[in-house]
Amino acid sequence: MQLNYTPQQDAFRAEIREWLAANVPDKPLLTLEGEEGFQQHVEWERKLASGNWGMVTWPEQYGGRGLDLIEWLIFEEEYWAAGAPLRVNQNGIFLLGPTVMEYGSDEQKARFLTPMAKGEKIWAQAWSEPGAGSDMAAITTKAVRDGDHYVISGQKTWSSRASFADWGFGLFRTEEGSKRHKGLSFILFDLNSPGITRRPIRQLHGHPGFAELFFDEVRVPAANMLAGEGEGWNVAMATAGFERGLMLRSPGRFQAAARRLVDLYREHEADASPSTREAVSQAWMQTQAYAYNTYAVAAKIMAGGKIVAEASLNKIFWSELDRMMHRTAMQILGAAAELTHFDDGSINQWLDGYIFSLSGPIYAGSNEIQRNITAERFLGLPRQGAG
Amino acid sequence: MDSLLTEDQLTLTEGVKDYLTGTHGPEVLRRLDEKGNRDPAIWQGLVEMGLTGLMVPEDHGGLGLKLLDAALIAAECGRACLAEPLVDTAFVAAPWLMAKSETADLKAIASGEKIVPLAHKINGWTADGNGDALNSVDPMRNLSTLPADATDDPHLLNLGALMSAAQLIGLADAMLSQAVEYAKTRNQFGQPIGAFQAVKHHLASATVALEFAKPVVWRAAQAMDDNIDSAPIHVSHAKLAAGDAALQMAETAIQVHGAMGYTYEVDLHFWMKRSWALIGAWGSRAFHMKRVDDAVIGGSLDIGPAQTFA
Repeated sequence: MQLNYTPQQDAFRAEIREWLAANVPDKPLLTLEGEEGFQQHVEWERKLASGNWGMVTWPEQYGGRGLDLIEWLIFEEEYWAAGAPLRVNQNGIFLLGPTVMEYGSDEQKARFLTPMAKGEKIWAQAWSEPGAGSDMAAITTKAVRDGDHYVISGQKTWSSRASFADWGFGLFRTEEGSKRHKGLSFILFDLNSPGITRRPIRQLHGHPGFAELFFDEVRVPAANMLAGEGEGWNVAMATAGFERGLMLRSPGRFQAAARRLVDLYREHEADASPSTREAVSQAWMQTQAYAYNTYAVAAKIMAGGKIVAEASLNKIFWSELDRMMHRTAMQILGAAAELTHFDDGSINQWLDGYIFSLSGPIYAGSNEIQRNITAERFLGLPRQGAG
Repeated sequence: MDSLLTEDQLTLTEGVKDYLTGTHGPEVLRRLDEKGNRDPAIWQGLVEMGLTGLMVPEDHGGLGLKLLDAALIAAECGRACLAEPLVDTAFVAAPWLMAKSETADLKAIASGEKIVPLAHKINGWTADGNGDALNSVDPMRNLSTLPADATDDPHLLNLGALMSAAQLIGLADAMLSQAVEYAKTRNQFGQPIGAFQAVKHHLASATVALEFAKPVVWRAAQAMDDNIDSAPIHVSHAKLAAGDAALQMAETAIQVHGAMGYTYEVDLHFWMKRSWALIGAWGSRAFHMKRVDDAVIGGSLDIGPAQTFA
């Protein structure tokens, strides 16, 4: 164990810090869950790409910088320290991107990764269906082979970013009559394809952050399938691993929230209870624990290791930590917590953040499912109904 | 920047784990509880493994290893619920004496001839000392009254707290294994109780707390090895994280064991009682929380995304 940065890593930190200081918008963008805010965030993605900061760990040929995971963590730390906007293309760069890198052909990598890194194409996910939520293997939306195309019919729901995004990816049943995990394939599709109807779903904060997607005989080129026909489940599990594991929630984001929480507490210290004080300290401690763990996971992956069930522990930890921090802020704010904007006109970001944090333990596989996975695959407990 | 433990550290830890698993099972704890609490033969085994001299410099007959190495071994001592005062003498007293440049006893510590009773005012008792005996809920503790000349040296406190945290990690790991084993073998309603989600979720929650306490403890040990200014804060963080995780694990483990967990017959209570003891030792939860509060909220520690290793 060696917990000092190299001079090269320090130099890299200084470089990204300088670029962010010059380029991060002065005023927070509107929420990316609404149409205008979505466009603002797309513009930001393109600004990032103009500095070649879209996805620093990707190979240079796909719009990255070919950096390692420690440098990615440094990038993320500086990114969140600078108060930079949320990544509207996170479904692409953090989930689909690594999946394409692992399972895609060279042609697919060239076609999908570069526009993703450059923010030219924004991606939505399309996993859930009305009858397949936590039980994702119950997917029924079918993709039938017809020449060099698949013809997709059915319905997806809770499709994040799909109200405004350009492309989507998800699992479809390509083998008629197949059951559960078998006969599923991982397909990428243009959301503007004829036959797709998007119905934005208003979320509890009022914005259409996700959508229902209706597929009426939508023709998708067979070349848009990742890995082979029927191999979709394993590909999707890899994607889910990226989502729950290292990439989606870097520690920097939570460390920034903990720091803001400490500031908020200091402003209201005279009115705060001892339990609130402890919660604020816990926020710092748990974000640090998450950061140490993430650095260790990064080092493990760099040394050739893999994370499997650990991704589920990760997801439980960060999602419940995020909710705890925002809950604490709401408690500190007291009567002001309900205000969408404060007296000075500024957005109550704690309220927005609290509402958003409630989705963390639900999406990317609910925390109940993650606890099952932890118990069965990390601890080796028997599956339900096993005699 | 490299957060991984080295191959050497993993090999050493695995070796100690195998040795203690083979020689220091629950039957040993029952024998010690029945009579004597301490056993020179067990101590001699630890000496022959080189563990009493783990941190003692090579020119004093030891291995000259660091606090992080010692913390990893301390976790194994916790896993085995080791009663002998190895951690106190070799991983707390030895580095404390070394920091004070008091080298006279190091050779005798390394050779296993000297046991150092630790008398710190924060505890109000001495472990393996010579005062009037005090009874602990943990039958292996050998506590006695604090002598009048007890110290309040903060460095000793930090070493004691760090090594308590490390032992708590191992204790919690052992309690988890016991609970998982029981949940796999105890059948009710026609299936192992570990197949029920209520049981799974209890154990998963305790596992998350434990797995995220481990890197905090290793980081605190490294911070002390590196002698950085903020090391005491990281020690307090480690003590809190490991203590909370161990207590949650203890309460989860007894719940999973059901009425069996409430018996003397099931081994769990040895580990649970040691956890209770070490959670309170070397600074209470309130003591360490205040140190963290004062640094984080008080502002003496730099915090935020770019300050992970501040």
